[in-house]
Amino acid sequence: MTRKQRRLVMIGCGLAVLALAVGLVLNAMRDSIVFFNSPTDVVEKHIQTGTRIRLGGMVKDGSLVRGDNLQIRFVVTDGANDIPVNYQGIVPDLFREGQGVVAEGRIEPGRTFKADSILAKHDENYMPREVADALKKQGRWQENEGKGERVGEKAGAPANAEPRK
Amino acid sequence: MTLWFVFALMTAAAVFALLWPLGRRRAPAAAGHDVAVYRDQLAEIDRDATSGLISVSDADTARIEISRRLLRAADRESEAAPLVGSTLRRRVAALAALVLLPAVAVALYVTLGSPDLPAAPLAGRAQAPSASQSVASLVSQVEAHIERNPDDGRGWEVLAPVYLRLGRYDDAVKARARALALNGETADRQADLGEAKVAAANGIVTAEARQAFDRALALDPQLLKAKFYLGLAAEQDGKREEAASIWRAMLANAPADAPWIESVREALARIGAPAVAPEQKTGAAPAVSSAQPGPSADDMAAAATLTPQQRQEMVSGMVSRLADRLKTDGSDVEGWLRLMRAYVVLGERDRAIAATVDARRALAGDVDKLRRVDELAKGLGIDG
Amino acid sequence: MIPEAGHYALVLALALALFQSVVPMAGARWRDATLMQTAPVTALAQFVFVALSFAALTASYVTSDFSVVNVYENSHSLMPLIYKMTSVWGNHEGSMLLWVLILALFGAAVAVFGRNLPDVLRADVLAVQSWIAVAFYLFILLTSNPFLRIADPPFEGRDLNPILQDFGLAVHPPLLYLGYVGFSIAFSFAVAALIEGRIDAAWARWVRPWTLAAWMALTLGIAMGSYWAYYELGWGGWWFWDPVENASLMPWLAGTALLHSAVVMEKRDALKVWTVLLAILAFSLSLIGTFLVRSGVLTSVHTFASDPSRGVFILAILTLFIGGSLTLFAWRAPALRQGGIFAPISREGALVFNNLFLTTACATVFVGTLYPLALEALTGEKISVGPPFFNLTFAPLFIPILIAMPMGPLLAWKRGDLFAVAQRLLAACGIAVIGVAVTFALAGVKAVLAPFGIGLALFAMAGAVTDIVERSALRSVGVGIAARRAIGLPRSAWGTAFAHFGIGMTLLGVVCETTWNSERIVALRPGQAVSIAGYDLTFDGMVPKTGPNYREVATRFVVRRGGAQVAVLEPSKRTFATRSMTTTEAALMTHGASQLYVSLGDTNSDGSIAVRIYDKPLVLLIWLGAVVMVFGGLLSLSDRRLRVGAPRRRSKPAVLAQQPAE
Repeated sequence: MTRKQRRLVMIGCGLAVLALAVGLVLNAMRDSIVFFNSPTDVVEKHIQTGTRIRLGGMVKDGSLVRGDNLQIRFVVTDGANDIPVNYQGIVPDLFREGQGVVAEGRIEPGRTFKADSILAKHDENYMPREVADALKKQGRWQENEGKGERVGEKAGAPANAEPRK
Repeated sequence: MTLWFVFALMTAAAVFALLWPLGRRRAPAAAGHDVAVYRDQLAEIDRDATSGLISVSDADTARIEISRRLLRAADRESEAAPLVGSTLRRRVAALAALVLLPAVAVALYVTLGSPDLPAAPLAGRAQAPSASQSVASLVSQVEAHIERNPDDGRGWEVLAPVYLRLGRYDDAVKARARALALNGETADRQADLGEAKVAAANGIVTAEARQAFDRALALDPQLLKAKFYLGLAAEQDGKREEAASIWRAMLANAPADAPWIESVREALARIGAPAVAPEQKTGAAPAVSSAQPGPSADDMAAAATLTPQQRQEMVSGMVSRLADRLKTDGSDVEGWLRLMRAYVVLGERDRAIAATVDARRALAGDVDKLRRVDELAKGLGIDG
Repeated sequence: MIPEAGHYALVLALALALFQSVVPMAGARWRDATLMQTAPVTALAQFVFVALSFAALTASYVTSDFSVVNVYENSHSLMPLIYKMTSVWGNHEGSMLLWVLILALFGAAVAVFGRNLPDVLRADVLAVQSWIAVAFYLFILLTSNPFLRIADPPFEGRDLNPILQDFGLAVHPPLLYLGYVGFSIAFSFAVAALIEGRIDAAWARWVRPWTLAAWMALTLGIAMGSYWAYYELGWGGWWFWDPVENASLMPWLAGTALLHSAVVMEKRDALKVWTVLLAILAFSLSLIGTFLVRSGVLTSVHTFASDPSRGVFILAILTLFIGGSLTLFAWRAPALRQGGIFAPISREGALVFNNLFLTTACATVFVGTLYPLALEALTGEKISVGPPFFNLTFAPLFIPILIAMPMGPLLAWKRGDLFAVAQRLLAACGIAVIGVAVTFALAGVKAVLAPFGIGLALFAMAGAVTDIVERSALRSVGVGIAARRAIGLPRSAWGTAFAHFGIGMTLLGVVCETTWNSERIVALRPGQAVSIAGYDLTFDGMVPKTGPNYREVATRFVVRRGGAQVAVLEPSKRTFATRSMTTTEAALMTHGASQLYVSLGDTNSDGSIAVRIYDKPLVLLIWLGAVVMVFGGLLSLSDRRLRVGAPRRRSKPAVLAQQPAE
């Protein structure tokens, strides 16, 4: 084989692997992407029951009910619309009434939401980005974080320390 | 002075680090590194072959290949230009090291640093005469106590002003509210709650805070703190006349040595209203200043009021954040109103006017919101 | 005075870096030895001043000097000393200072260990390092200055984020940064080579050990971060495909590829251009990892908008270095001489194969991490790309790598015989097949993928052993001779085997943990018991405790197996008043390589407490595998032949003396 042929073979292999990767990515994109929605989105977009979404908003004050067997019911609101949520399990440390929350799960008939995971970040000032946007859209939330702080941004966690889930 | 001496020493060390190699004459380094590397590889193959790690034929092929590279490297290096040093270039570099390095360092430091601020390690500050314990441990003691006796109204009352001083405004609001609920309502407690709420809202007298002050005044029409904040509320709403008259009335009835006189005068000066006030000059500094030693449990209560500087700082930080936010998302009418008010409070009329213009542009098309902007602008006297 | 001295030291370091980024580079172009020899001394001085600056900030933290804004915001006077020190890098500003400290450390290392480098190369490399340093010093001083002061210092700080008050923070970020910044050496060498238009033989020898060192630190850092997340977050998960994690995984993948292509370059003088490109990519991904995560851009477009100066600065640095180096590459790479040739089936071929898949896998991670951001910027639609995406893309691309991994080291350079290699690997295949069969028998068909995962892991591990066995010729000579031969093998061969074995271990841990992990979530009252995986846990009750800057509710669980007490676990919940935050401290019981994991949830009104209990079989293998990989790296790094580089003048005067005769 000449040098040129060899190079062609290598480029060919590279393209084949790349094509494989593109195929995998496109395939995965179709099935495993989860869209974020606020309660208003859920109401307005008529999201079909059974679709997997992330629902974000505030936990409505006074809506949290704990049942047996670690059952939890609460209402997610963005001020304009409310969606009742059911969840079984342990909620994150920072899950509280009046706090932002993102729940992942499916819409059930009767516009209730069955969550299979509840996400909350570990910072008292933290407002999930999507939630903040959604609330801002409804005019329910104002940025008043960082009281009296002298320099701009709140110091975050170090690289890779950003807590998840 | 010591500081600048240390700086000079450090600068000298840095300059020396640059001048030293420049001053050292060295024979141009021998070229031929590639050759050396390949030679070493040849030696390695011999070692490997002797110890039986590679077969003789493999060793031979490898040797041939490396020798080929070696020859090529040797060819290349024989034509490499020799390394020379030029006196002129050396002098230029030395000059740069001598002049530019200190110039860059000092210029940048003077813009960024705060050479006049001494270090303030906590250990040194806790030694202050009146406080035998550090504030931190005091706070945690009271907190622990409260944790066990959440219904101890007195504990909450002690804690609240400390929270305020420490910048834990939300906790301060909580503590004030608890104290109010547990110890019964008084004018002072309502006013304190209002004050905490103002602090928590970045210095803005919110509707909630205002309610508290109104309630306080209903209980005690002479309560100065409530009056002062209602004046502030009026100012922030753009009703400067109203604010000025509230504050003037306060000054008129003030005892000569009242420590708050200065604050009120400043407030009046800020909104450009003359202070029709008693002639006596009071030298007392307002509220708390940094010169004071760490507060003991007693003067924590006195620390409740923020200094004007602190308030100013709080407000300006808040304002710039708000402005940034509105720049990206201009649909928030409340935000615009707050921004306009805030600029007026800060005495930046030009920016307030600019903000009004921006707000009108951003809200164009929404008659209702525009009307509110116009109203406020008129009230604040910035409707140009 | 201390904070101001630190501030000034940092400014001086910037001034030195400015000098170092211009003068040696000019000297190299003019071939002026005097100008070039300023580089090492300047690099050392720069390191000294950055170290001073870092020490000053640390001192401010240790003495709780709240007149420094950074200390006020991230420390608390009651915090234990160790956390006071680690909180120096537990925040954006301080961690950037740590970053430049490590960068200066590597610069100093090049200055010290690089005495035998060609003058021009060394001057170029140090100048390029200094370009990076200048950008970072400016970034720190102008947008993220840790030395800003408060005229009227508060009496108490705002405390470090409680989740970071952990030993993990002491080691994880420095290791990660050692890795990220370590790739800057490879980057500087690559850019220097592009500027000079040629790759010295010494270049090839240098890049591998430095990349290896960076890779080891990064591997350990990622593993450490993963273990930390595992025990600190209370969810028992060890990898979330979170953007923050991906940001550290991407440089690791590129770095691993670089490591392998550097082998080809060193041994066979081939793949030079590709290695240069990988060096650029690895460091670029490190930059993205550092910046996008640190600045919050990756998780929120709004941090960017609310603090435009920082964001714009970051964009400028990224554009400058990534864009600049890639442009330089496109312009100069054709000038680099092509090296030796090889057949597709050969050791080189296998390494190319590895590179191809590693970089493609890296690209899919890149897409998955940045796609949501791009989509939101373009359409406003918000999506999350979660673990399923990565499982469907990354995993399939990694399988070929794992299959090819044992073959690579067995193939001959230049022209290999795949059939012979397959024969040698028969035993490894046998072990893998037995593993698959046994798993199928044990697990049944409910977990279809698990047996194959285990088979693959066993194949990788057995393959690594085969490599050593074959090299020591155990089959043809006696055990005694073979053992002596094995000991005499180059350490880098052992290093390869260990690293590859470690990959197998990690995979085994991953597969076992995900397949057979059992979980119980229950509400327990004191005295109640729960069983999991053959263990009975009795909840004894809870005790309130007070820590230095937190209060905690500690619980007691007695673990019994078959009636006999085996352990007492004490998970707890801590409440930090200053930030009004709660953290969950999980309790772990290690048995073999498996762990029992207990963490607490909320306390209910009826006095019961929600408890999460996991049994995680072989979970420790995940991190032990990484440790074994790093040990392999260490062996390889200690290989004498790597250290030789270009021979030292002092020790081998004979070589130089002969030179004029060439």
